[in-house]
Amino acid sequence: MKNRIKVFRAMHDLTQENLANALGVTRQTILAIEKGKYDPSLDLAFKIARYFNVSIEEVFSYEGQPPGS
Amino acid sequence: MLYNEAHMKRNTFYILAGIVGLALVGIFWLSVEIHNPTLITVAFIAGIVLLYWLRTRISDRIEDERTILISQKSAMRTIEVFWVVFFAISLGGVVLGLGAPGFPKPPHRPPDEGLIPLGHLGFMQMTLLCLMIFLYVGFRMYYARQYGEWDTDEEQD
Repeated sequence: MKNRIKVFRAMHDLTQENLANALGVTRQTILAIEKGKYDPSLDLAFKIARYFNVSIEEVFSYEGQPPGS
Repeated sequence: MLYNEAHMKRNTFYILAGIVGLALVGIFWLSVEIHNPTLITVAFIAGIVLLYWLRTRISDRIEDERTILISQKSAMRTIEVFWVVFFAISLGGVVLGLGAPGFPKPPHRPPDEGLIPLGHLGFMQMTLLCLMIFLYVGFRMYYARQYGEWDTDEEQD
């Protein structure tokens, strides 16, 4: 799964620490998501999208195979 | 009120945990000296309860869904490996017990040499517990690495 958190952070002039504190997670988790090492839960993904006031699809994009293929 | 709201930094917790650990080592040897197993048993439980309570006083955020996932996966893998080892060793113990001369023992018969003495059982349990801890730490390091626990970037201090 790809994401544009880093882009949105830059647009809002936020550090990983700021975003992590606002979302109630550790800075390391934000870093892991940005680097694609960790896929957030739906709950956290929605929180991130809501924090930047955009839809979840604008932040996250799924690149796996469609089901049944 | 002020007491309940008192928080500490993570490093302070680690220092306190070290002090508790050292105190427990001292109490362990004291228990050995005075032949009182209850002392170390009660002290160990009290020490762990104290550490769990101190952990809730840490002001830095140390746990979230990613760290919980790491803990869950590590614990699951530890149990998967540990139960096999534990079961195999227990089977060996059962074989020793069943193979001991005169098993099952009639009343008033002195203990057979084939059975494991109680003190040795304690050492065996400690060995197994240490194995469990090593397994957990190993799996935790593996999953922590997989989920980016030690990754750094340009924002890193």
